Amino acid sequence: MNDQEILDRFEELEAGRILGDLDSNEIKEWEKFSADPRCKSDLSLELAAAALESKYLGNEETGLSKDLLGKLQEGMAGFVVPEEPQESEDNVIRPANWQTILAAPKTGWAIAALFALLLIAQSFIDKGPQEPKGLTTAKVETPSAKESRDTLISRASDLVESDFGGLESYEEMSGTVVWSDELQEGYMSLTNLPANNPGSNQYQLWIVDPTRDEKPVDGGVFNIPSGDGTTIIPIRNPLVITDPKAFVITLEQPGGVVVSKQEIVVALAKAS
Amino acid sequence: MLPASVTDRLQDTSDDVMLLQVAQGNERAMELCITKYGPLVWSIAKRHVQDHSSIEDVVQETFTDLWKSAKRYNPDIATTSTFVGLLARRRAIDYARKESRRPKLEPLPETESFLEPALESSAALRCQNEDVRSALKELPEETQHIFSLHFDKGMTHPEIVEQTGLPLGTVKTRLRRGLIDLRNTLRRLDSGQASIPAT
Repeated sequence: MNDQEILDRFEELEAGRILGDLDSNEIKEWEKFSADPRCKSDLSLELAAAALESKYLGNEETGLSKDLLGKLQEGMAGFVVPEEPQESEDNVIRPANWQTILAAPKTGWAIAALFALLLIAQSFIDKGPQEPKGLTTAKVETPSAKESRDTLISRASDLVESDFGGLESYEEMSGTVVWSDELQEGYMSLTNLPANNPGSNQYQLWIVDPTRDEKPVDGGVFNIPSGDGTTIIPIRNPLVITDPKAFVITLEQPGGVVVSKQEIVVALAKAS
Repeated sequence: MLPASVTDRLQDTSDDVMLLQVAQGNERAMELCITKYGPLVWSIAKRHVQDHSSIEDVVQETFTDLWKSAKRYNPDIATTSTFVGLLARRRAIDYARKESRRPKLEPLPETESFLEPALESSAALRCQNEDVRSALKELPEETQHIFSLHFDKGMTHPEIVEQTGLPLGTVKTRLRRGLIDLRNTLRRLDSGQASIPAT
């Protein structure tokens, strides 16, 4: 065998090894070749096999049992690094703990969440958009946040601006959200939203963008300090948002949640 | 609406960020990872391992591997789903060998060490699902069929022989050659994509 023939044979055996179909003679042959410095394997064939299995099996409807999920939670506990409490930057409350991506769109959660959001949106539409109430001089915003928001408003040619409407016990709240797809930047301006106790619960923003996923994008958790005034919160979307249809604020446990049960939906801003 | 190839890329970029956060010990990223990839890991484990408790063991050990090795993940080498699939496949095959009491061809390397070769650019295979679909279409129809039976239906070689009537040697050769050809096509597609600026 010349060098090329040796390399070709080794590659075929390597494929067989990855597919698990080497017979005993081929195993000996593979072992002989693998000791040959000319035969250098890399992970590419194994990655190809993994990509194939991921492609074929990635769409299977499979749910992990609660028992197994519990074990996985226990298993990951040893690797979790506790988050350090974030220092407040003056009085601007910035979203923390942004999620990176949304989970697979095939879960029941996605369907339930979307359905719930549609119901809420319909309810809001029926009532008609609410005018922001008492958008007073911001006591808690910093110039930088306001300036950034103003800059966005002046720069963005595709600015989307929507009013927040408070739901149920949050009807007194008001606010606006401004967003630019082009600049991927946005700000919430919230007024009369009750202060929360970060030790008990935190507000969480969700962005509904059906073009990127059925499931709302987690916009992160934030706090509202006590006192009247308007809080400006920059939106730091971890994903590219291309066509937001709604911005929803929920009240969740401290640190926020990966999937919201939407037990307390605070406010909704529907993009026109 | 963005084209599927672009959204795939965006989605996977986000997954890369998720693994970076996992590497930093971010609890929420880990939970998200379980939510997103738990079903895939389960499916791969189930494909290779019969016993239910062993499937659960494979899933747990795969995620433990993931928590340990996320810091070594190189997004230039493979997508997150391929990386997770590789971890799951390794664990599942190792378990299958134990179940069948088959002699190991070689000991399963520790995660840390088997990731080392992946750092070499020559191993890079950063393909999206769409690329895999395209690469599959370039294979001969007979090979595509055998691939579907093996990777999708989970058939063993003897089962494929029974289903297709092909000799065992032909099935083995088609699968091996097909895997090599698929890898080569994915490499070509990967290098082509590299010239397209990520949007």
